[in-house]
Amino acid sequence: MTVILILAALFALLLIRVPVAFALGGMGLALLLIGGFSPLMAPQAALSTLDGFILLAVPLFLLMSNVLLKGGVGADLFGAVHAWVGHWPGGLAVATILSCGIFAAISGSSVATAATIGTVAIPEMIARGYDRRFVYGLMAAGGTLGILIPPSIPMIVYGFITEESVIALFLAGIGPGILLVVLFIAYAMIHARFFGGQRPEPAATWEERRRATLRAAPSIALSALIIGGIYSGAFTPTEAAAIGFAAALLITAGVLRSLSWKGLREAIFESMATTTAILLIIAGAKIFGKAITLYRVPQDISAFISETIHTPLAYIIVVAAILLLMGLVFEALSMVLIMTPVLLPAALSMGFDPIWFGMFMVIMVECALITPPVGLNLYVIQAVARTSLAEVSRGVIPFLFIMLLTVAILYMVPDLALYIPFKL
Amino acid sequence: MTDLFRSVAALRLGLAWLGALLFAASGVMLTWEVVARYFFTRPTIWAAELSQLCLIWGVLLSMAWALEARRHIAVDALVSNIPAAARRWTEALAMVCVAAFAGVTTWHGWAIFWDSWARGRTTGSMLDLPTWVAELSVPLGFAMLFAQALAEIAKAFRTDWAAHAEGLHE
Repeated sequence: MTVILILAALFALLLIRVPVAFALGGMGLALLLIGGFSPLMAPQAALSTLDGFILLAVPLFLLMSNVLLKGGVGADLFGAVHAWVGHWPGGLAVATILSCGIFAAISGSSVATAATIGTVAIPEMIARGYDRRFVYGLMAAGGTLGILIPPSIPMIVYGFITEESVIALFLAGIGPGILLVVLFIAYAMIHARFFGGQRPEPAATWEERRRATLRAAPSIALSALIIGGIYSGAFTPTEAAAIGFAAALLITAGVLRSLSWKGLREAIFESMATTTAILLIIAGAKIFGKAITLYRVPQDISAFISETIHTPLAYIIVVAAILLLMGLVFEALSMVLIMTPVLLPAALSMGFDPIWFGMFMVIMVECALITPPVGLNLYVIQAVARTSLAEVSRGVIPFLFIMLLTVAILYMVPDLALYIPFKL
Repeated sequence: MTDLFRSVAALRLGLAWLGALLFAASGVMLTWEVVARYFFTRPTIWAAELSQLCLIWGVLLSMAWALEARRHIAVDALVSNIPAAARRWTEALAMVCVAAFAGVTTWHGWAIFWDSWARGRTTGSMLDLPTWVAELSVPLGFAMLFAQALAEIAKAFRTDWAAHAEGLHE
């Protein structure tokens, strides 16, 4: 009963548009006061959240991807990949997905990925006669690769609240990320073969390929530096983010000379706005999490689940359905923060690995990013392509099924995620 | 009055910019840390701690600006589908909730800061800074958030509110 009352009150606050951060923090504080616990825990929890070294990676990864975005790296990357695969069936679409995958390896945010690649790829594909809905869906879904392929801000957040290794989470994202890229590409080629309509392109010459690749080389090297550095233990994820930011400045301002003062100022300011929004939600969730633990909410839910659901498969299906429904109205990160403390204890008692469960959560969050009415990536694509939300939403449907298929494969083959961090 | 509003707005934006620069500064410090460690084999004792302070202060200084600029993440699904007259009330009610949370947090955050200040508590880390250097950010940041939430309540009942909210809607 208490559980239902608490969740109902929280959802009521959220629906009248109390910002998620303050709804969580306020609910937590109110619960502390009602239960006779010390309200000092609220400012302490907020402060201890911001005092987390791993969360410093959030503004730094954002600074890196915003600098690259303003420096026009998206066009270079897309140009290079396009020179190699443009003449394949559905070549532009394949190039779009590959560019998203590569940019995902230097960016921890799906919105940045969708915006960076979408700005270049959408007009090109439309001009070549690709079906508009397919283009919008492809781009919205391709953008979500940003949070599955490391670095990834939701993984940092998941690692922070569950006290799991962010490095292990990053490495676990590589397998499912590559699988999703392959499935998207396969779908794009099949779509082009049977529902085509786009004009085929001639293959680029070797000279064109060389020139385009050279221009994109610094950005590709940057992604290798970051993943390699974290994997080898040369630096922590937070330091990797700092180096990435410095290197992004060097590449765009020094080597490519494509970053203006105005662009730099915008990148710094935008990163601040996003960082503040994200970190305050985490702080609010920490206060809320402390309070509901004192009320034994996660324990009660866990007990309820283990009484009613008996198999891991049933549990995952139920949780996936709940997350899909929540994803219709919830923003992605808020979902991770509200649901992880509630769901993880039960998942662990069912025998799921916490890192595996993190990957499952991240893919479900990707679905939330592209399901209307609230899906950040839909808004990004809608804004970039200047079209209607309904048009983008319809285009997304086949990609949503591909993502759920990835979840199913991940369930059947857990090593897809766990092999690289633990068995390699 | 207009002058006062203008200077408050300038202060709010100025603090947001300060926050933005503090984040960028933490990137510079941590890059230096890695360079110092690998190339000079002399890791710093200050980079990690100072960059952490940048994060704490950066977030709390820009919090009030983000409320005014509507940059905090919120669920729009319901309020974007109800009549404008009703939206004023949900907006005012939401801001009352924010003000209540901010007010209580300011109060207790100040108590934590004051206790550390009076006892001269330090972090016990390498730099051994006084703990209040970080703790002061909580009452300051939340006091500004409290004031901003009150201002937003007043704004919700201004005649041109709907147009204003629409324009900033993300």
